[in-house]
Amino acid sequence: MTENVVEFRKATKLYAGVPAIDGVDFQLRRGEIHALVGENGAGKSTLSKALAGVVTLTSGQLFIDGAAVLPKTPLEARHLGVAMVFQENSLVPTMTVAQNLFLGQEHFYNRLRGIYIAAQQFLQSLNFDVPPTATVSLLGAAKKQMVEIARAVLHQAKVIIFDEPTATLTPEEKAYFFDLVRDLKKRGVSVVFISHALEEALLLADRITVLRDGKHVVTDDVANFDRAKIVQAMVGRDLSNTLYGKRKTTVRRPGERVLSVQNLKMAPMVKNNSLSVFAGQITGVFGLVGSGRTETFKIVAGVLKRDFFHGGEILLKGKPVRYRVPAPAVQAGVAYVTEDRKVEGFFETMSIARNIYLGLLSKFPRGRFFLSAGEAQQTGDDWISRLKVRAISPKAKVVELSGGNQQKVVIAKSLTQEPDLIVFDEPTRGVDVGAIVEIHELINRLADEGKAVVVISSYLPEILALSDRILVSRQGKVVEEFSALDATEEKIMYAAIH
Amino acid sequence: MIGALKDFTDRILGRGHAAITVPPFDGALRPNQILEHAEIAAEFAQPNDLASHGGVLYVADGTNLLRLAADAPQPVRRFDREVTALCALPDGRLAVALDGCEIRIVASNGSDDQDVVIGGAGMTAVNALAPAPSGTLLATDGSSEHPPARWVHDLMSRGATGRLLSIDIDAKQVRVLASGLHHAFGVAAMGDGALVSESWRHRMLSFAATGTPRAPLEHLPVYPSRLCPAAGGGYWLTAFIGRTQLVEFVLRENGYRRRMMAEIDPEFWIAPRLSSGHSFREPMQGAHLKTMGIIKPWAPPRSYGLVIRLNADCSPRYALHSRVDGNNHGVVAVAELGDALYVLAKGAGRLLRLSSTAIEAEFGV
Repeated sequence: MTENVVEFRKATKLYAGVPAIDGVDFQLRRGEIHALVGENGAGKSTLSKALAGVVTLTSGQLFIDGAAVLPKTPLEARHLGVAMVFQENSLVPTMTVAQNLFLGQEHFYNRLRGIYIAAQQFLQSLNFDVPPTATVSLLGAAKKQMVEIARAVLHQAKVIIFDEPTATLTPEEKAYFFDLVRDLKKRGVSVVFISHALEEALLLADRITVLRDGKHVVTDDVANFDRAKIVQAMVGRDLSNTLYGKRKTTVRRPGERVLSVQNLKMAPMVKNNSLSVFAGQITGVFGLVGSGRTETFKIVAGVLKRDFFHGGEILLKGKPVRYRVPAPAVQAGVAYVTEDRKVEGFFETMSIARNIYLGLLSKFPRGRFFLSAGEAQQTGDDWISRLKVRAISPKAKVVELSGGNQQKVVIAKSLTQEPDLIVFDEPTRGVDVGAIVEIHELINRLADEGKAVVVISSYLPEILALSDRILVSRQGKVVEEFSALDATEEKIMYAAIH
Repeated sequence: MIGALKDFTDRILGRGHAAITVPPFDGALRPNQILEHAEIAAEFAQPNDLASHGGVLYVADGTNLLRLAADAPQPVRRFDREVTALCALPDGRLAVALDGCEIRIVASNGSDDQDVVIGGAGMTAVNALAPAPSGTLLATDGSSEHPPARWVHDLMSRGATGRLLSIDIDAKQVRVLASGLHHAFGVAAMGDGALVSESWRHRMLSFAATGTPRAPLEHLPVYPSRLCPAAGGGYWLTAFIGRTQLVEFVLRENGYRRRMMAEIDPEFWIAPRLSSGHSFREPMQGAHLKTMGIIKPWAPPRSYGLVIRLNADCSPRYALHSRVDGNNHGVVAVAELGDALYVLAKGAGRLLRLSSTAIEAEFGV
């Protein structure tokens, strides 16, 4: 029997020609807890999903127990003894714990009482205090996690992958979860633990692997790591990369306070969050996934609602506002450029011109009774030339454009509304290099024109290159503010994690 | 009727005026430790206010009026009551408020031959004085119900009886320019009008000679206090205490607050203080806890030290802080003397000295 239960050799996964992981070597030993850490987009999830059969490698090899395998579905991976516990748990909320445990293993005739008894015995054998008859939706996050783990063990998994398992747990639940993972280790199960919380990785793992930009950086025993070393490995990209230009030597002076968010709450993502945004400045917002930055600004833009009771206050130019839908926010001068353009940004089978025209129409409180094809065409032409959208014609469908040009259409939709406050959420995600430069120029131009600009990004060089001031979000609230003049990648990452 | 219904729903839902929210210290108010690390120029038992004129710094300390010469305080004059406000007039004389209910114009050398006494007009808590260009004297009367030392009682009873006064020194006449202010505490001339700190509303109000007052600066995360014109234009604004969600909550809970005021020693009220950390019986506030023997610097403060540099339009330019783990709290006055910026931290009983040039360099101004 080999020492490694799992081994990746030169694992590569391409999405539309772009590598999510690139030639990664990774070994998981039998009965070890192995932490995978890295920035957003480092390739942690892709590597795990390749192991769990959710995605298939483009090239490279995967060995499980020394045998070369290529699981194409999660079911195949499960048969190989690999189970993955996703961040958003995959339980059916309306079913009971026992039903969830045996989901997929049903017989032609199922006796509910028999399932409950089997589940009860199995949960007791794991020392999990979860009633098998309880409906999953009524369980707390930790108990749901237990059911997920129990299901993985029930499937006789020898490898369990946890993707951000502690993001929704309370400190007490976390402690209990750690005990569960250690118990799994004692049973000989190998665990891959993905987390942004470095202290958890240092506390729980036997070994740590750091990925960066889809490449393997370092793997070592946990004793040879400390927080600073991990952070350095996570962010130590080639800073000579000139795509994002040189560091700022001057920053724009703040103008009027356009937005003041005070003690905003939206359980469980936004927790008593407070921040301000000023005119004539780019406010960069950095945070790891789940830090509540997107949700905060979606509440500002009326896309999400804050808590009904004591949800905090949002002041727009000093006046309290509460938008239940985006339309009044647009009319008040707030534009939100979504991070998920394919779902929320545009109608992909409609033309560029019509998509942009839709942005303009949302500015009118009562809509328009008659729509003008000529005005739509003119608006489209105007913004296509202003933002240099590369398309055959304004009548081209948005789905036919490249990612960068699609993003420009989404931005144009927002800019037609002439906003005073514009929030760019991951403005260059999935965008080609040339378009990145153009989008950055546009964002800078907007700030120079006196607009209050917010840039939410998970990519530190982008935040550093664009921002005049940088807010760092962690666990649902802004925890640190830096001037762009004295911020460094290490400082920002440290604030985002600790 | 609709207003009452809205008040009721706001209270239930925690919205509108019933929202328990505090703006963040960010942007120009981004925290630092400049005030905490400032040089201590002198220490006093009961410092109250500062004034500067002709290269001399005057300090009101309890019943004493002192001048700071060669860094050592020299007595100028002793009064029979506490000096609650002080300012220098363009002609070199000094205006002092005694016990908040009388204003006296005195010579800067301390002689009492030419004292001008102005009283009456219902003055109760005169806490700030400033010369106006028209030759008059501007004053803020914090409360008509509580003397200056009982400012915390005024806050906890949600006092709104503050006034802005204009005083004709020669005629000894007092004119009320504005009333119903939520604890006026700080005034400076602004053109031919006045700029006033309205502490309990966390804002600055500007009163023009004509027209309605406007708020050029509001939604502050602190309770503003005295201000003085800055040599380079704009103003220096002090904040004597900081806001916290816990105090905002207590201010909303009338029954609780009344009982607390009736039964608890004011020292231990859930209320802001000029200094804190003197007794284990002080209420802990939110994360105001020690970890490994160190108070977390980001903890909500019971007391705080802050000076804000304002532009001429009252927009904040930068701020000097002494945070929750510091000592230089309860800042009530600031004065410029050449390159030196003197800050009076009443909570710590300290007069602090900073270099204006160094501060401007620090903030890249």
